[in-house]
Amino acid sequence: MRGQYGQFDQVETELRGWMICSLDGDAGAHRQLLGALSGYLRGYFVRRLGRDAADLEDLVQETLLAIHLKRASYDRTLPFTPWAYAVARYKLVDHFRRSRRRVHVPLEDAGILIGVDNPEEGAVRTDLERLLSQLPERQRTLIEEVKIKGFSVEEAAQKRGVTAVSARVMLHRSLQWLSQAVRDEDR
Amino acid sequence: MKTGDLIELLANDAAATPPGVAWRRLGNALAAGGALTLLLVILWLRCQPLLMVAVQPWFWMKAAYTGLLTVSGVILVRRLATPGAPVRALPMWAAMIFLAMVVLGAGQLLAATPGERLGLWLGQTWRVCSPLILLLSVPIYVGLIVAVRSLAPIHPIRTGAAVGFAAGALAATLYGLHCPEQGAAFVVTWYSLGIAAATTAGGLAGRRLLRW
Repeated sequence: MRGQYGQFDQVETELRGWMICSLDGDAGAHRQLLGALSGYLRGYFVRRLGRDAADLEDLVQETLLAIHLKRASYDRTLPFTPWAYAVARYKLVDHFRRSRRRVHVPLEDAGILIGVDNPEEGAVRTDLERLLSQLPERQRTLIEEVKIKGFSVEEAAQKRGVTAVSARVMLHRSLQWLSQAVRDEDR
Repeated sequence: MKTGDLIELLANDAAATPPGVAWRRLGNALAAGGALTLLLVILWLRCQPLLMVAVQPWFWMKAAYTGLLTVSGVILVRRLATPGAPVRALPMWAAMIFLAMVVLGAGQLLAATPGERLGLWLGQTWRVCSPLILLLSVPIYVGLIVAVRSLAPIHPIRTGAAVGFAAGALAATLYGLHCPEQGAAFVVTWYSLGIAAATTAGGLAGRRLLRW
């Protein structure tokens, strides 16, 4: 799970390349970017929360969702890792704030984010799953089909007899709603 | 939900996001809010025909001051809406613009006879100037906040203050169309006070409005 120390430039170049392709609409690059980031985020959060924190994986997911939804704020002329680190730290601080714990989260060099890669997915509490069940049926079905049955949005849309555009909008709105709902939950 | 499943969902939502999209959102907000404020200046406060205003050098003196503040404010907002972006230099720019105006205003006061000085500083409208700028900044503030909420400000209070500052500076620029005052000392005091009020109010409101 370790071993990226001293390879900052290499990892940064790779992540930034994926990010830029993803911003150009490349779903494959987006998947690779988020996959790699989930390992680094887990590594970073383990350092701050401890390995056995019950909410570790939830925090990883929340941060991935935020990174996804806030992509437009990234400035392509700037390095990527500091952007991702700042989002991760913001989500961590917010996490402590909402659970009413006073924990100081030091502002470290952004390289800390990609210092440890931890690809082992932890146990998830059921936050996102439970919130998903609160979505209206049409949106929930769309998400289930893309998530579990592995359909693309186009295929799912075709099955439901809606246009691909409206299915895309529906998916995007659902994700925005999820992100908001996770935040608003009092835990 | 497994993290892998979530990533699959997100990959299906990876719409193209062109490079200038953040600037476009901020630009649209400035245009929409600015248009509303301009309408308020023209229809409610009233001003001379714009062509007549445009030949007055003191209008351009005021517009240069508040226009430069607007530019530094908007760039600061863009930076603060980008996690990890450097922001240090921009408040310095704004401070330097302010100081330059203080020097100009002090120069004008020194050049005037002692009897004229108070009139030059207070003008005819010092009582209403700052409150009106604060009021006129509201449409621009609202527009910019909507745009910034779609981005990722990690310091809500600071970002709210920067949004208030940019909105106040643009509102002051448009208020200059109505305002009959001609002295730099007037502008650097009462315009700046209005912008400072917008900055403070913006920071207080930002704390609630800019969480994500």
